[in-house]
Amino acid sequence: MGASLPPKEANLFKLIVKSYETKQYKKGLKAADQILKKFPDHGETLSMKGLTLNCMDRKPEAYELVRLGLKNDLKSHVCWHVYGLLYRSDREYREAIKCYRNALRIDPDNIEILRDLSLLQAQMRDLTGFVETRQQLLTLKPNHRMNWIGFAVAHHLNSNVAKAVEILEAYEGTLEDDYPPDNERCEHGEMLLYKISLLEEYGFLERALEELHKKEPKIVDKLTYKEQEVSLLVKLGRLEEGSNLYKALLIMNPDNYRYYEGLQKCFVLYSENGKYSSDETDQLDALYKSLAKEYTWSSAVKRIPLDFLQGDKFREAAVNYIKPLLTKGVPSLFSDLSPLYDHPGKADVIEQLVLELEHSIRNNGRYPDRTEKEPPSTFLWILFFLAQHYDRRGQYDVALSKIDEAIQHTPTVIDLYSVKSRILKHAGDFSAAASLADEARCMDLADRYINSECVKRMLQADQVALAEKTATLFTKDGDQHNNLHDMQCMWYELASGESHFRQGDLGRALKKFLAVEKHYADITEDQFDFHSYCLRKMTLRAYVEMLKFQDRLHSHVYFHKAAAGAIRCYLKLYDSPLNSLTEEEDNTSKTPSQKKKMKKQRKADRAKKEAEEKSEESSASGNSKFGKRHIKPVDPDPYGEKLLKTEDPLSEATKYLKLLQKHSADSLETHLLSFEVNMRKQKILLAFQAVKQLLRLDAENPDSHRCLIKFFHKVDSMPVPVTDAEKLVWSVLEAERPFISQLQDKTLSEANKVFLVKHEDSLMHRVAVAEMLHVLDPTKKPEAVKLIEDSSNKVVPKNGALGPVMGWKLKDCIAVHKLLDKVLTDQDAALRWKVRCAEYFPYTTYFEGSHSSALQNSSNNLDGETTVNGDASHPGISGSESLATANGKLEAFKNLTI
Amino acid sequence: MVCIRKATMDDLLAMQACNLLCLPENYQMKYYLYHILSWPQFLYVAEDYNGRIVGYVLAKMDEESNECHGHITSLAVLRTHRKLGLATKLMNAAQAAMEQVFEAEYVSLHVRKSNRAAFNLYTQTLGYKIHDVEAKYYADGEDAYDMRKQLKAKPSHQHGHHHHHHGGECCSGEGRNTQVTQTRGDSKTESKASMKLESKAV
Repeated sequence: MGASLPPKEANLFKLIVKSYETKQYKKGLKAADQILKKFPDHGETLSMKGLTLNCMDRKPEAYELVRLGLKNDLKSHVCWHVYGLLYRSDREYREAIKCYRNALRIDPDNIEILRDLSLLQAQMRDLTGFVETRQQLLTLKPNHRMNWIGFAVAHHLNSNVAKAVEILEAYEGTLEDDYPPDNERCEHGEMLLYKISLLEEYGFLERALEELHKKEPKIVDKLTYKEQEVSLLVKLGRLEEGSNLYKALLIMNPDNYRYYEGLQKCFVLYSENGKYSSDETDQLDALYKSLAKEYTWSSAVKRIPLDFLQGDKFREAAVNYIKPLLTKGVPSLFSDLSPLYDHPGKADVIEQLVLELEHSIRNNGRYPDRTEKEPPSTFLWILFFLAQHYDRRGQYDVALSKIDEAIQHTPTVIDLYSVKSRILKHAGDFSAAASLADEARCMDLADRYINSECVKRMLQADQVALAEKTATLFTKDGDQHNNLHDMQCMWYELASGESHFRQGDLGRALKKFLAVEKHYADITEDQFDFHSYCLRKMTLRAYVEMLKFQDRLHSHVYFHKAAAGAIRCYLKLYDSPLNSLTEEEDNTSKTPSQKKKMKKQRKADRAKKEAEEKSEESSASGNSKFGKRHIKPVDPDPYGEKLLKTEDPLSEATKYLKLLQKHSADSLETHLLSFEVNMRKQKILLAFQAVKQLLRLDAENPDSHRCLIKFFHKVDSMPVPVTDAEKLVWSVLEAERPFISQLQDKTLSEANKVFLVKHEDSLMHRVAVAEMLHVLDPTKKPEAVKLIEDSSNKVVPKNGALGPVMGWKLKDCIAVHKLLDKVLTDQDAALRWKVRCAEYFPYTTYFEGSHSSALQNSSNNLDGETTVNGDASHPGISGSESLATANGKLEAFKNLTI
Repeated sequence: MVCIRKATMDDLLAMQACNLLCLPENYQMKYYLYHILSWPQFLYVAEDYNGRIVGYVLAKMDEESNECHGHITSLAVLRTHRKLGLATKLMNAAQAAMEQVFEAEYVSLHVRKSNRAAFNLYTQTLGYKIHDVEAKYYADGEDAYDMRKQLKAKPSHQHGHHHHHHGGECCSGEGRNTQVTQTRGDSKTESKASMKLESKAV
């Protein structure tokens, strides 16, 4: 390095490198300038100066200098290395790898560059390259532990498990017998556990177990040791030893359900779907009865039998389980039992037995067959339980009467208000739900959980500004007002984005969705530092798990929602470009006074926005006055206005679509979005792929049906192909069409009818058929409307699991209303639908149900502020969502739960 | 009711979400990764019957000090899941691992002075004592109690005769002062433990 320089300058060059490493950039810069004064063309100095500037946020200059330096000294590995580092700092890993490779061509044994290259290869999952590089490093420096381990891990990642084991054993062969020294025992133990897990992965179970036993004294982590041992024993079919070990593990932690699962497997009493023969049920019953004697303090041994017991035994076990928890006042009791509501009949039993308890306590103050009185709180928790029970059953009026009685009984219990808020949300009154959540919040301002819950409700009620104000009560970080984004608070960003979307503010919606997308990119990036860290720390099992986790990171539900949300924004932007969108007014369902209110609201919004901008400016300048180092770059586009100006919304959408296709290939929504995007892009074959995927995943889904009909309707109306490409597309479709069973020997109208006959009793299927009827032949609008209106809301037994509930779901009915209103544009029918649904959903503000806060603001004890916001929610809900409705994809925007 | 088990990689996002719902001290994902990739034995979660993460403990070994000791970075239990003793169970699990694997002499944590519920849990149920008060420890200016609990110092295993904490090295080989510890999250909040649970019981 710096070889071509005279001694004084060579020393200065060393100083630049050192300053860079110690982050004393100004010093480095000075030294560089001193050299350049004498040798203005010195390539390596130019490069290092560029690299230094890169760390001082002077990126364009940095690239210029680094490239110039390289040009002046193409034969220098330093220049190439620096160029690679520059790319690496910008996460341009592929480019960086190329640079490192060039550097290595000049200096093949440069350990530092090899190491840097190996990190990039791990990051990019260039596994064959990674193996090669790690091999080189080991060959060059075989006395380094890390090089052995790195080589083994590389082979493991590259699916050569046997080789990985071989390397680790060769490494062990280099160690003295009394290895490790005391301060390396943990690391060595981890290495041994890693090796044993490799043997297990490769199927060498005997050898793994033997090795485990042999190395026991050197394995420090005794819990993992036991867990590894039991896993091997079970796989080897040594079930008795396995069961003994599980029992030993349960003594250490009687609350680990996985141990119980393992124990059941050892007794060959485990089934994935939870279904057991009566004989097996008896055996399980006996097993858990004996476990209950051993682990008296474990709640698991009492809870698990509720899953497999049936009939009277279930009832008995349930009573015994529930009673003490009601006495104790465990708020999560209902949520604990709620999975049983999917088992046929169990919800009925629970309802019956809790009602008996209620009756007995109400009249005698004690449980049936007991002499001692219960404390007054027991009655409260029974009501609390019943409220949630009826909520789950969709009997909102009963649920509300129970929770109101509970509140009357003890008005100071915050949980009651939270549950009441949730019931109102389910019943469709978002603004009343938000104001109740706010009431709960005010009862303990120091509790962030109820604050978060309240924020969630406010966002559901489209009170975005209020929600943000409320959330930021907990997010001040020094002088930073709101660290929700920095702390990757994704639930908030998603809920906020969805609310903005509902209200038609695509800019802010996009901003939020893309923020979430960015978090995932950052998390992917986070792994970089750990490639070297874990090799030193020797946490190899955790490291490999982390890499696998990163590989499936983007299939996480938050990412899916964010990407889908962004795609929807871009679709909407494409369908109604910017200018028309902002002025777009959707007056159909509003009274003049509402319109006036909206106008006022908008004006207020605008004024507020300006004020916000001003205050942001002033606070920004305030910061610089104090010379804070941590000034965050001001977001040049806080409201997403620039995002909206994209030239090509569909190609933006495609970016996120590709990620969904790669990581959520089994989600219906992915392919619905793909259909929408590709139809608009006129990519007929890609749209066809989407249709085929939809049919593969769920051919009976109403949206799949919509896409199928729409697609071939479009194909049928295309002009006769002229170009070769068009002819090719045509011939592919000709060849494929006969294989689509829905369309065999049928016209689209006939296929539509067949679909109707198959699903005559389902509202959403009928609606899809009606919509397609209209698409295929616009003159059939009256028929389509009639088809929808003739649907009947029957009581469905739903396998008897939930008990009698009305079949129609609120969100479906809202979607139908929007369809009648906006797509079929039959205002009379929409009104009739609204009146009808107001009957079914009396609490729903959307339909202005008789019990909803939309009609009775004053009686529902809302304070002034929330009333205003409550109203604001209305235009939001009924706002223009023609696109989403047209595609029947409101699904995705149903309540966001965490 | 609730399963107490070691955290896996797939739990980290849910742990972060749980933290953001409950506590004012938050961390970026990288800090969670740093914990699980350094001390995978110390991360525990409480998972309810619906598979939802309703509580967690995030802990570490303090490698900057001479005494070998553990530190609770963060502990949270959803308000909806209090009264089940989850915080105690999570803490016990993490403490046991510190003691067994790293032979930690004691474990430390910080708690807001105003958080009586947490303070009571630490002192009465878990046996922590106030070691010090750190003025203005939290971002909003509140003081923290620096609390400690002595763990049983066990004699060293295999070679019973010598103690293993030479020169303050805490079973850490080269793991100290790495890139990761320097670049993680926001240094102001990085090691603040706090918790919120069991507010006024009925």
